[in-house]
Amino acid sequence: MGSLVLSGVARSFGSVAAVRDVSFTVPSGITFGLLGPNGAGKTTTMRMILGILIPDRGTVSWDGRAVDLRVRRQFGYLPEERGLYAKLKVRDQIAYFGRLHGVMPPYDARRAEAWIERLGLQAYADRPCGELSKGNQQKVQVACAALHQPSLLVLDEPFSGLDPVNADMLLATLRELQREGTSLILSSHQMWQIEDLCEQFCIIAEGTVRAAGTLTELRAGWPTRVVEVEPATTPLRAILDATPGARAIAGPNAGTLTYEVPADLDTAALLRDLVGAGAITRFARLEPRLQDVYLRAIGAAA
Amino acid sequence: MSTLAVIFNAEFVRRIRSRPYLIGTAIGALGVALIAVIPSFMVHAVSSSTRNLVLVGPPALTTPAGAALRPDFSVVAVLPRLDATPTLAFLDAHRHASAVATLSRTGSRLHALVYARDPSLFPSSFARDLGPLQIALATGAPLESVRSRLTVPIDVRDVAGRFENAGEADAAKAVAYLFVLLLYLAILLNAQAISTSVTEEKTNRIAELLVAAVDPVQLLTAKILAATATGFVQLGVWTAIGFLAGSKLTEGFTNGDVGANAGPLAISSSEILLFVAFFLVGFAQYSVLFAGGASLVSRTEDVGSITGPLMLPVVGAFVLAQLGIQFPNGPLMSSASFVPLLAPFVMFTRIAVTPVPAWQIALSLAINVAAAILFALIAGRVYRVGMLLYGRPPSLRQIVAAMRA
Repeated sequence: MGSLVLSGVARSFGSVAAVRDVSFTVPSGITFGLLGPNGAGKTTTMRMILGILIPDRGTVSWDGRAVDLRVRRQFGYLPEERGLYAKLKVRDQIAYFGRLHGVMPPYDARRAEAWIERLGLQAYADRPCGELSKGNQQKVQVACAALHQPSLLVLDEPFSGLDPVNADMLLATLRELQREGTSLILSSHQMWQIEDLCEQFCIIAEGTVRAAGTLTELRAGWPTRVVEVEPATTPLRAILDATPGARAIAGPNAGTLTYEVPADLDTAALLRDLVGAGAITRFARLEPRLQDVYLRAIGAAA
Repeated sequence: MSTLAVIFNAEFVRRIRSRPYLIGTAIGALGVALIAVIPSFMVHAVSSSTRNLVLVGPPALTTPAGAALRPDFSVVAVLPRLDATPTLAFLDAHRHASAVATLSRTGSRLHALVYARDPSLFPSSFARDLGPLQIALATGAPLESVRSRLTVPIDVRDVAGRFENAGEADAAKAVAYLFVLLLYLAILLNAQAISTSVTEEKTNRIAELLVAAVDPVQLLTAKILAATATGFVQLGVWTAIGFLAGSKLTEGFTNGDVGANAGPLAISSSEILLFVAFFLVGFAQYSVLFAGGASLVSRTEDVGSITGPLMLPVVGAFVLAQLGIQFPNGPLMSSASFVPLLAPFVMFTRIAVTPVPAWQIALSLAINVAAAILFALIAGRVYRVGMLLYGRPPSLRQIVAAMRA
């Protein structure tokens, strides 16, 4: 297994610069979230990783060598726009994409069967893909992308259009692939899924990297934290109002005092002051969520 | 198994099982059979009805006249006289005869009064056939003697020694026409199918997956090879049907003299090889252009906007080949037999009907193979760029810029 390195890649379409300057590294075997608003350049970046588009500038390398066709055949791809031969049977479709990635008979058929079973597609195995529901087509697409046990699997919006049950199944499948050693790069607007699944992130906007790293690293750069205190009594509110840099923000309910405080605030000292001022039933220091980091990064870009 | 073979197999099976292909092959086979059979049937049917003749007059005239008319007419009845002016019913009653000819003699001159079903279509050969009888009556010489003296034996020979006689030359033209028609039909049906297949892959977004795993030129090559193979299957079916229909037809008319001027279908093995070579080259040239062009449109309903202009050279080459059958050695044909897209049609036509120097054939093949490779490289780049373009078809400037990237 190797690591993927993007170094200063850029790609324009005519006068439109889709990707201006993107660099990041995806270490071997991890799940990497590529985030950004619509039009940020995520899909173009993914296409450059897969060699579908050639960068105008910069390099894409895998395990220290440029990504060529031989390397690309170790990759798997689940594009945002699903693509299947409508008249081809599920079993044949999966096996065909396996063969395209070098899984030759009889292993293509065997692995296709295994994936059909894994994704619960047995009842549809001999039906043309065009007759399947969107969710089941998505499963077929996942099998097509993963049958050859790719070193790197690139998934562009894999959860879009899936109901919660199928989304959970896909999530479980991706975790299995990760355990088997496949590196995953995925983009999604479902922040909770991304946060749960990915170990590293890269947030891009307007074709440039706005933030990158593990969630801990991303949070480290966040200037504030949120504290929640219950009950919402006057003495406790007075302590919080007197804390340097603290400001009240809208909380989950009227019975909770919610304040944004500086990240480097001595929380233990604050808690001692609060305990001295009155009875406390609940005190929580909340770390910023991925969505907060994301929105801030995008807001900075806006 | 190489990727090329994987895609070739998948494309071949998909195409050969597709309904449009099966329907196209069946319709083509029917067309070839009809083309092979109908003209001869038409000639037979038309000549049968126009050949039937009722002769009226004294036996001293009708007997020798019947013999004199035999090359061009079938005398279906001989009557001493007419009781009334012949009607259509009268003609129908006499094996649908085309005319009633009453013969009489004034002094030494023969006179014929003809009641024809359609006077404008009454064959002029009637007067020509009766010419010797007129002289025989005037001179008193035996009819056979006059006829033998009036017949000038003409033996037409091919100056190049290619054909034994005019019949063989006619047969060669028929072969040229048939093969040009087959190439035309194969391109017409399969190029359209290739275009639709490429655009479909783009429409249903499979293109992106394919380009991620396979070199676009390899992908395009495999598609073209599969299309060529299916084209060959089609060609084989049509050729077999054509020859079968032709041979059955020949058997059916063995006793008649329809097509008596036609010689044997003289097709040498080298001609077949050259036909296969030019078929492959021509098919490949057009296929890559159609595939490359089709990759520029996003919807199957827009395919026509690309394939329409590309059909012009196909039709032009087909028309040119028709002229080439008649005038194979003119400067236009000689030049066209080297021009890519035209040469596969024109050069084979020339090869079939006239001796063509070997160096010209070799040069034409070399130019056209090189052109096919060049087209494939250009189409491969267009394909690579085009397969990922969606929305409005790109301008020529955009295509050129993208190809340079």
